[in-house]
Amino acid sequence: METLSQVVSMLFGTPLIPAALIGLVWGVIGGAMPGLSASVTMALVLPFTYALDPMSAIVLLASVYIGAEYGGSIPAILIRTPGTNSAAATVIDGFELKKQGRAGEALGISLWSGVVGSLFGLAMLIVFTEPLSRFALAFKPMSYCALGVLGLSIIASLSGGSLLKGLAAALVGMMIATIGIDPLSGVNRFTFDLPDLLGGVKPIMVMIGLFAVAELMRQSGGVDLATQAATSVRIVFPSFPMMKRLAKPQGIGCGVGLVEGLLPGGGGSVAAFFSYNEAKRWSRHPEEFGKGSVEGVAAPEAANNTVASSSLIPLLSFGIPGSNSAAVLLGGLLIHGLIPGPRLFEQNGDVVMGLYVGSFVATLAQIPIGLLILPLCMWLVNRPRHVLAAFVFMLVLSGVYSINGSYLDIAMVMSFGLIGWLMLKNDYPFLPAVLGVVLGPIVESNYRRSLLLSGGEHSIFLEDPIAVGFLITAALFIGFSLYRERRDALARKKEKEVNANA
Amino acid sequence: MRKLAAALAFAVFGFGAGSASAEPAAYPHKVVTLVTHSSPGGGSDIFLREMVKHLGKYINATFIVENVSGGSGARAMSRLATSKPDGSVFYAITPTYIYTSLLSKPPHTYRDLQPLAIVFADPEVLYTRADGPYQSVKDLIDHARKARGRFGAANPASLERQAAERLKAVAKVNAAVVSHEGGGDLMINVLNGTLDAGVGEIQELRAQLAGKKVRLLGVFTEQRLADFPDLPTVKEQGFDVVVHKFRGLAGPKGLPADVIAVWEKALPQLLADPEYKKVYGQESLIVDFRGSAQATELVNGFATEAEAFLKEAGVIK
Repeated sequence: METLSQVVSMLFGTPLIPAALIGLVWGVIGGAMPGLSASVTMALVLPFTYALDPMSAIVLLASVYIGAEYGGSIPAILIRTPGTNSAAATVIDGFELKKQGRAGEALGISLWSGVVGSLFGLAMLIVFTEPLSRFALAFKPMSYCALGVLGLSIIASLSGGSLLKGLAAALVGMMIATIGIDPLSGVNRFTFDLPDLLGGVKPIMVMIGLFAVAELMRQSGGVDLATQAATSVRIVFPSFPMMKRLAKPQGIGCGVGLVEGLLPGGGGSVAAFFSYNEAKRWSRHPEEFGKGSVEGVAAPEAANNTVASSSLIPLLSFGIPGSNSAAVLLGGLLIHGLIPGPRLFEQNGDVVMGLYVGSFVATLAQIPIGLLILPLCMWLVNRPRHVLAAFVFMLVLSGVYSINGSYLDIAMVMSFGLIGWLMLKNDYPFLPAVLGVVLGPIVESNYRRSLLLSGGEHSIFLEDPIAVGFLITAALFIGFSLYRERRDALARKKEKEVNANA
Repeated sequence: MRKLAAALAFAVFGFGAGSASAEPAAYPHKVVTLVTHSSPGGGSDIFLREMVKHLGKYINATFIVENVSGGSGARAMSRLATSKPDGSVFYAITPTYIYTSLLSKPPHTYRDLQPLAIVFADPEVLYTRADGPYQSVKDLIDHARKARGRFGAANPASLERQAAERLKAVAKVNAAVVSHEGGGDLMINVLNGTLDAGVGEIQELRAQLAGKKVRLLGVFTEQRLADFPDLPTVKEQGFDVVVHKFRGLAGPKGLPADVIAVWEKALPQLLADPEYKKVYGQESLIVDFRGSAQATELVNGFATEAEAFLKEAGVIK
């Protein structure tokens, strides 16, 4: 009862609601801007929070995070450009749905799944912070390495046909990820003495190049440039039977998002890919994935929104951010003299409480704000295609440039676009390349870290039960994919023979 | 050297205290831009933003903070080196700008800038998990003598790693120095026992210290810290490793003498400001004021040492 009255007085006695709403709107806009990742969107508003009271500042930042994770899916669905890292998996089926004229449905599903994911993550944050934070500590370098291997093992099922081409694409991704300062020795790798490359190539650059720029090039080369598919600007919120169908992929997304949010390093993009793959594996309609599956939008969107809340668990309990965005939030806490950790809950219980209530407000506000913003976005993408293509090009390049003000970044995105276009023409899948960029560094640095710890003995992996579990699972995944590949090849061969005989 | 700096600081401070109630010092510019390579919320960003809140009392100008992130400081160095050396723009320096200058070939390096002053030193400490077996640096080294030691540092090319490598060399032990992708990663591996100990800044450990999850083994400074009087230095425990993580300001080369004089007078006054003292007192920062000449000496000495370390570690040729 006391808590309830505290919540009510917070809602109406403090600027919590405006902070949550402003944060959410800015987050959706920033997340939807190609190139502005969730963490950059948050960092941009951080200076404005200096003058606010600590609670409003934290609520504002957390709401930006929630909004950005959701906003990233809008360009992913509409213009094949992931607005944030973690929306890359949404591109696959989201853009397919858009091509089929079902953009309104896809956006509705992404909105609904985002709300479900946020609510689940928030519930976990409020109820299980203590036990879940202990789970985060159990992960050693060996476990992270094995987790990365498990992630890479899903390449096969993301390859869409040719395993060989999928592996080749993944290798290219991993090669791009080696650019920058070596994570262990500090030696420069492929930086050509350019300071801009010291920090490595950001995955979002690769994603924007491969997805957005390549798509724009493809469209420009098409003959249907002037024609325009008329699509309704109406947002279709999922019906009740649809909600029931989405429950399973959303559940998978929530579970994966919870685990990934707890572990520093992975963040939303790994969670989104994992949940996409798992949703496909457990779906009754796996054949729809990649061709416009509603489940393929629901799972990653639920996952990345769950991460937005669950990455706050290690942040609040240890002061260890589970994602880049959580790191910006850490900066926000520190500026206001709030030191996250066990004593935050005792000393600044009101701020934590405010954070919970504010996040809840922002989560629910996603629905009305989304319904207001989305028709506008849909109207925008329904403009004549040649105008739109030029506009998107400008949007993408200015977004990329705005991050660091670097021409090199623009050149890189354009080059990745060219590579992406060549891949597209030759039927190489993009997703394994993106997965390689994201997971390559996790596997490499933790593998080397493990061996450094053991003095070169590989047995150290066997001493870590989590690593053993992941590696066995990965072996099973790969074995199953190889089996399926072979079975399909045999089936194709048979079909050919039948056709030849006929 | 240190005594001299302290004496100088005292002299300037003494002079400043006499005129504490006076008007802020006249300055040739109305607006002064303070550049940091940190993004908002990062270490140097917080340092500058706290400072500008109080700086206006001592220098008659408006101070704005500009975040020029990217290229690990390279972009900020270029922003400075191509500005006029008239005192209208300064850069918040930390060892990062030296490491970046040494590691890559940025268009402008630390050699193109002129240190204006050093203000603080961030103490680096050696820490272990609170329920672990090590009570002192000696315990840690004894273990590393018997078995293989496991030390951690936040980043591969950093002062933290330099401290860990030097401890390993001074103690002549076989230890793995494992670098990470930031202080958070390192912290997890110290807390879960993967590493024996880690090197980090005391600010990053606040939460764990308050929660009694980590134990400090020693601090890599010459003297003990004022707010941790019972924490011995690593040096007094028999291992001569001292590192100096400085925090200060630099401008473009060729700063006018009158500008330098205003800052050298104002900064000690600022450090004595009771309100500002309250802010930095909570951060375990060591007040280490040095004027432009001594700051330059310190920075150059630091760079020589860092270059030797990076070469020894095989990071650069």
